Amino acid sequence: MLDEIAARRRVDVERELAGRSPRELARAAASGPEPRDALIRLLRPGLHLIAEIKRRSPSAGALVSGRLDVADRARAYQLGGASAISVLVEGHSFGGSIEDLETARAATSLPVLAKDFVVDPRQLPLLRAAGADLVLLLAALHPARRLARLVVQARDLGLEPLVEVHSRRELEAAVATDARLIGINNRDLRALTVDPELAERLRESVPDDRLVVAESGVRDEARLRRWRATGFDAALVGEELMRAGTDAASVSARTAALVEAGRVPTPAEDPGAAARTPFVKICGITEPRGLAAALTAGADAIGLNMVPGTKRSLEEHEAAELVRLARAWAGEGLGPKLVGIFAGRDAAEVDAVARRLGLDLVQLSGDEAPEALDLIGLPVIKVLHVAAAPGGDADAAPSVALVDELVARAQAFRACSNLFALMLDTADASVPGGTGRRLPAGLARAVATRVSVYLAGGLTPANVAGALRDVSAVGVDVAGGVEERSPAGPGRPAKDPVRVGLFVKRARAARLDLPTVASHPQPVDPGLVEPDAAGRWGRERQFGGRFVPETLMSALLDLEAAYRAIRREPGFWAELRELGRRYVGRPTALYRADRLAAELERRAGRSPGRLRLYLKREDLAHTGAHKINNALGQALLTRRLGKERVIAETGAGQHGVATATACALLDLECVVYMGAEDIRRQAPNVLRMRALGTEVREVTSGSATLKDAINEAMRDWVTNVATTHYVLGSAVGPHPYPALVRDLQRVIGDEAAAQLLAVEGRLPDLAIACVGGGSNAIGLLSRFIGEPSVRLIGVEAAGEGLTGRHAAALAGGSPGVLHGSRSYLLQDDEGQVLEAHSISAGLDYPGIGPQLSALFEAGRMEILSATDDEAIEGVGLLARSEGIVPALEPAHAIAALGALLAGKTAVAPLSDDALVLLGLSGRGDKDLAAIAEWMERAKR
Amino acid sequence: MTAAATPRAADGRRGAPDIADAPSIGGASAIRAAFRAAADDGRAAFIPYAVAGYPDASTAEAVALALVDAGADLLEIGLPYSDPLADGLTLQRASSVALDHGATLKRSLDLVGRVHAARPRIPLVAMGYVNQVLGGSDGTGVLRDLAEAGASGLILADLTPDEGAGVEENAAALGLSLTYLVTPTTPPERRTMIAERCSGFLYAVSLAGVTGARRSLAPGVGRFLTEVRAVSPAPVAVGFGVSTPEHGRRLAPYADGVIVASALVDALDPDGRDVDRMAQLARNLRASLGR
Repeated sequence: MLDEIAARRRVDVERELAGRSPRELARAAASGPEPRDALIRLLRPGLHLIAEIKRRSPSAGALVSGRLDVADRARAYQLGGASAISVLVEGHSFGGSIEDLETARAATSLPVLAKDFVVDPRQLPLLRAAGADLVLLLAALHPARRLARLVVQARDLGLEPLVEVHSRRELEAAVATDARLIGINNRDLRALTVDPELAERLRESVPDDRLVVAESGVRDEARLRRWRATGFDAALVGEELMRAGTDAASVSARTAALVEAGRVPTPAEDPGAAARTPFVKICGITEPRGLAAALTAGADAIGLNMVPGTKRSLEEHEAAELVRLARAWAGEGLGPKLVGIFAGRDAAEVDAVARRLGLDLVQLSGDEAPEALDLIGLPVIKVLHVAAAPGGDADAAPSVALVDELVARAQAFRACSNLFALMLDTADASVPGGTGRRLPAGLARAVATRVSVYLAGGLTPANVAGALRDVSAVGVDVAGGVEERSPAGPGRPAKDPVRVGLFVKRARAARLDLPTVASHPQPVDPGLVEPDAAGRWGRERQFGGRFVPETLMSALLDLEAAYRAIRREPGFWAELRELGRRYVGRPTALYRADRLAAELERRAGRSPGRLRLYLKREDLAHTGAHKINNALGQALLTRRLGKERVIAETGAGQHGVATATACALLDLECVVYMGAEDIRRQAPNVLRMRALGTEVREVTSGSATLKDAINEAMRDWVTNVATTHYVLGSAVGPHPYPALVRDLQRVIGDEAAAQLLAVEGRLPDLAIACVGGGSNAIGLLSRFIGEPSVRLIGVEAAGEGLTGRHAAALAGGSPGVLHGSRSYLLQDDEGQVLEAHSISAGLDYPGIGPQLSALFEAGRMEILSATDDEAIEGVGLLARSEGIVPALEPAHAIAALGALLAGKTAVAPLSDDALVLLGLSGRGDKDLAAIAEWMERAKR
Repeated sequence: MTAAATPRAADGRRGAPDIADAPSIGGASAIRAAFRAAADDGRAAFIPYAVAGYPDASTAEAVALALVDAGADLLEIGLPYSDPLADGLTLQRASSVALDHGATLKRSLDLVGRVHAARPRIPLVAMGYVNQVLGGSDGTGVLRDLAEAGASGLILADLTPDEGAGVEENAAALGLSLTYLVTPTTPPERRTMIAERCSGFLYAVSLAGVTGARRSLAPGVGRFLTEVRAVSPAPVAVGFGVSTPEHGRRLAPYADGVIVASALVDALDPDGRDVDRMAQLARNLRASLGR
């Protein structure tokens, strides 16, 4: 089909161009209207819409019946928020014309893409003359060298070429050209078939320093959301919009819906995103155009180089002029922070210059000592230099001594009150400042897990996202990587606005959808934050691991590989987050519980009204508890693993209900193992699971509670491992479960931290959560592990009291192996696991996850406990003071907070005006029968 | 080699107890000698299993001795555990009955000691779960007690070489062999790695699943055993689901040893006391392993 159209186009072009001289063509092109900037919109965050006008196509046939009002439609596209309009100009197969292009452009202020079949360079000036701002070049129609030539010819005419590919080979040819826009068409123009996944598959082969457009195959918004997360900058949509009706209102509404799907989540939709977004500094600005580019791109800071003798250095008057311009353009107090770069200069002098220039920050790039910071009145970015990546394996594990030495240097500067940030850069003794070469990746990784740092050295739009995914740095810095590649003349390097825009966009998007947060203000032992390759946690890596029958090892290794893959796959997390938003009701509310706070204060003998207590309302999530976060994530993962059957264990029934729900939604077979004792205690949840189509299997072995349900689920898994994924419900079990479940639950704390920052401007003094296996606790607390100002408290179930039957694995247990990992558990001298007891089925578990064990052992998390009686009282307190009936599990945390306020605990007391974040992990409906029974017993 | 050459008494008991201090010559050597002896006899080694303390301490001892006397080449002694997640219903129930009737690790070790004293020629291999060794109050103490009681080796159902280095080292220092398991789900390169880390014998699990009697053998088990044996420097014993003399006959050509557990426990009847019936099954199984 393509060859047919191209052949006919050649004939037509010969006729149209007959007798027109090159000079005449050039004149025509020059007479065209001023080109509209085609890239600036695509450089903004998110996926943008290129809306297409076409009357018919060989694959779809006629797309409009009757007359098509091109101007009307173009206006509707612009009204709906499209970033560009694509117009078919080919007549024979698509019914288009150059007049359609002119009409569309005249009706809007958007750039217009000429969707033509360019077979001859002489077509380009005519298209420009008609007003085209962009032009489509099909890689399939040209040998590589001609394609490269066409790209240059188009650019010279002011036409931005969009080079379209449909295969890996065509993509290689496209990437070899200077094209800044590359389109991947899911439709094979020869066979006219559509492979809807093609664009996503090929995306990672397009270097990040190009803008990338996905084309064809859009049926719904989900596809656009995936494209956004996968790293596309625009979607070209035709058919779906042409079928949206003919009246302007329908067309613009449909356009707006597609535009909306490509937008990045707002802070309200994804409060945790802020902590995943790096600080971006554009350094070495030398002239106004570069300054404008950095401002337009929305950089967080721009650097003015004040180090004499370096190629981007400025005289003080030049710097002053750039500062004046920046303030004028951005508005006083707005816009990026202005940073002066100094090296090896007297600190008092640096301070004086910085004040004269009116800078916001000073960057010290020499070998300054920590004392130098005392003499500077502004916040300081201090550069720590390391040798550039050697020729060998930059990825290799760095020497422990080198990492320790860097961390120690960092620590010394962290003690300075005006330290703004630390920056790792490569250095060479012979050159002041950075070398522009990459840091050894292994070293950067190791340091960044222990201290919060910015990365500098050799970053470009093409590599910045990869660097940020690899290294948990909190910021990035670039100078040479965003400059013009072939400078117009001698002199100082100048910034390329498109590269500046791309750098900022790629850096901001790098971790936007991923579950990782790079925020460790305090050096934290890596063993408290992430497991090692064998899944071990703790300062001495003494917790976690994989203690399972050999039959499960290959499934665990497969699961680990899949987990590692999705951990880096933005599309997975974007899909999950979207489900969270539209299905679960995320973000869940952060509720300030003043009446509960006052009641707790009164009971503690304090004067009410001082404590500020916020509840993270996971009870409002779909199915009534935090468990859905994990269940949905693992159900999506099950699909990735290609498995159709899911098993799960449940204690309180909340995880069972959540898994049954996720399986119903994603069409998976589901079997839930539940202890006979729990089935009795949690009858309503058993009915809910059955209503959702799940088979509930009763477990009568052992204590007939959660621990035995896990044993039974593992036995099922051993038997059916080839077809079945085991959705473990807590942050326990063999590696990678503790890490996987933590990643899926940390949304609780990530959201809460951002929500709290929004209303209080700071993090809590105390984050407190109930602990059984610990998924809710690790979900809430993870975000704060590296925040030294935040106390972490886990509340265990003391059952009938710590001297009687209880479920307090940390307070009353010792390290051992349960359910596949080494952690604290209740056991006797011979290693027999003891039965736990708690009125709350969700806490009635003799173990606790390895990461919480590590945090406890390292003293980072304190523990409290609450008895059955105290928990029941906690339910009543919250219910009567705030009208919220909590589940028995978080009621333990409420009770323990009361005891802490009253000073009745072994841990340090809480100040009167403390800011407290409490994880309200679930609602109490499931416990009403248990509570009624308890009240009945209490009466007798 | 002395073990292999020792003539066998008519009643199935070994001859003179000339190597009563088995651990001193190394548990692994004793185990390998037992496999060699069976092979020299033209058989796969018969490895039955008794649950310590099931249904009670004295019956368990009678069961163990009856198994030896029925012709066991090695004897596995199960250590009852609260959370036997690799076990099917039979062994779960036996474990829990034993614990309810007062079984403790110490008493299980006493049983090992008594059986060893009574039948010192038969290598005894304890089978349990990793927390019995790593958890509790004293990690290495258990291994020492086991060695002192006369055991030759140890199997931990939830320990793989990935986590096993420490236990291996401690066991080796005490002259105990450590046996790991391979299963049909173990990828080929892993099978080799596991086999090379076994000091006594390698335990080949016949199926993907838990312990327990089965009516039929897993399909492809012959090929699986052939592949495992090809890469294993240590003798390979097959277990899980092996229930009848017919199973034994079919497996014997493919393995150096055949392990039977749940079927023997089932044969003790629900009350766990029909030792004669179990011994009869054991003799039949033993007789089925000729090649």
